[in-house]
Amino acid sequence: MSGRIAGDAILDLEELAHQLRRVTVELTGDDHGLGSGVLWPHGFVVTNAHVVRRPRMTVRLVDGRRLEGELVARAADADLALLRVAGIGIPSAVIAGPESARVGSLVVAVGHPLGVRGALSAGIVHAVGPVTRGGRPWIQADVRLAPGNSGGPLADAAGRVVGLNAMMAGSLALAVPIAEVIRFVRSAGVP
Amino acid sequence: MNALLSLSNDLAGAVEHASRAMVGVNARPRMGSSGVHWRSGLVVTANHTVQVDEDVTVTRPDGRTVPATVAGRDSAIDLAILRIDAPDLPVAEVDDESARVGHIVLALGRGPRASWGIVSAIDDARSDAALLTLDLTLYPGFSGGPLTDARGRVVGITTSGSSRHFQLGIPAAAVNRAVDELVRRGRMPRAYLGVSTQPVRLPESVLAQLALDQRTAAIVVDVHAGSPAAHAGLLIGDVIIAVAGVRITAPLDLKAILRPQRVGESVVASILRGGEARELQVTIGERPDRR
Repeated sequence: MSGRIAGDAILDLEELAHQLRRVTVELTGDDHGLGSGVLWPHGFVVTNAHVVRRPRMTVRLVDGRRLEGELVARAADADLALLRVAGIGIPSAVIAGPESARVGSLVVAVGHPLGVRGALSAGIVHAVGPVTRGGRPWIQADVRLAPGNSGGPLADAAGRVVGLNAMMAGSLALAVPIAEVIRFVRSAGVP
Repeated sequence: MNALLSLSNDLAGAVEHASRAMVGVNARPRMGSSGVHWRSGLVVTANHTVQVDEDVTVTRPDGRTVPATVAGRDSAIDLAILRIDAPDLPVAEVDDESARVGHIVLALGRGPRASWGIVSAIDDARSDAALLTLDLTLYPGFSGGPLTDARGRVVGITTSGSSRHFQLGIPAAAVNRAVDELVRRGRMPRAYLGVSTQPVRLPESVLAQLALDQRTAAIVVDVHAGSPAAHAGLLIGDVIIAVAGVRITAPLDLKAILRPQRVGESVVASILRGGEARELQVTIGERPDRR
């Protein structure tokens, strides 16, 4: 790789981080951070069910604004939850197509691991499928996550969200595939 | 397209390309390992994952399982070579020259599954057993699988060796040499000297007198009867300092030079006997028993 290409890739990564931070929110219950969420089109936030522990959550945007998020739908088995937020000029994430995560492709995660706001981690897609035989499919990524990343976006090199980070299995990040997130959001009546 | 996206596409393409010549190796009780179809009919993998000599099978990328036989082992670099009958299976695109410190590399395992990182060091202290030290995660079952560059060309095979703390790559050049040797001889001999050794510290007086830049060596504690070492006149108590121009600072260094391609080679062993430096000519032989 030439120096120029490496330099361009680093600039792209900065732009990607900036773009993703705008659509990643911090979710809090009382006064401490519980996790991350992704701003979905039409004034919604998707996150993990295990992050949402009450019907109303505080949603903090990257510009510091705090909005109230109202729980609209929750699916504990899929570990997904949907909140409605009201506000002006709320950005929303670009959602990838269902078959977008190729093994080996670059992915980045943005979230608030251990309370560090807007932290970026990068890696590649390790595998797509169940971790154990007969289990549910995950995007398994060779990306370092920590508590607080839950519910945050896993995005491809163009910034399109390919999954929702849910947990670690050893040193692998497990994300709910975007197809499953889309199905869940649709089932809640959101276009 | 931006540079990051194009790198991402290259990496995903590399996984697809290299995984066509990747197989699963089923030769240990629990989790199987991975292997690379290196030349037509020959699969290479990590020796420590081939725990049996019989009933070995290989799982092709299409999921079919075919029988394999163990054709050779080179435990010094943790390499095993298996023979399979699969004329339609693609052979890996190998690049045996390009690995450099700092290069982005991918490690692949059966599935395919992938992880990425960089070449963090190339240990060239012992040139014919130089290993790549990798900054990446080798997940369970990855050992023996391909290490590729960002274009999907195979630059080596990965092994966690006997340690959980190391991620190593056996460079493609070393794999090529071993495979060439197997093809040339029709089998892989096990090189043999016929000594048992222990590590020993060299006295300061000897270091000064002989201008040595090593502080330790290997002392002979047993010479096997009828062995190459016995024929060469090595005696118990001799301190081996170098063999074939390679410094011997510990018994492991001795093991590392005993490579299959050295069988039949006549080499010089530099020793200390009674405090005096001597040189003996040793012809490296072949280990008589299989195990």
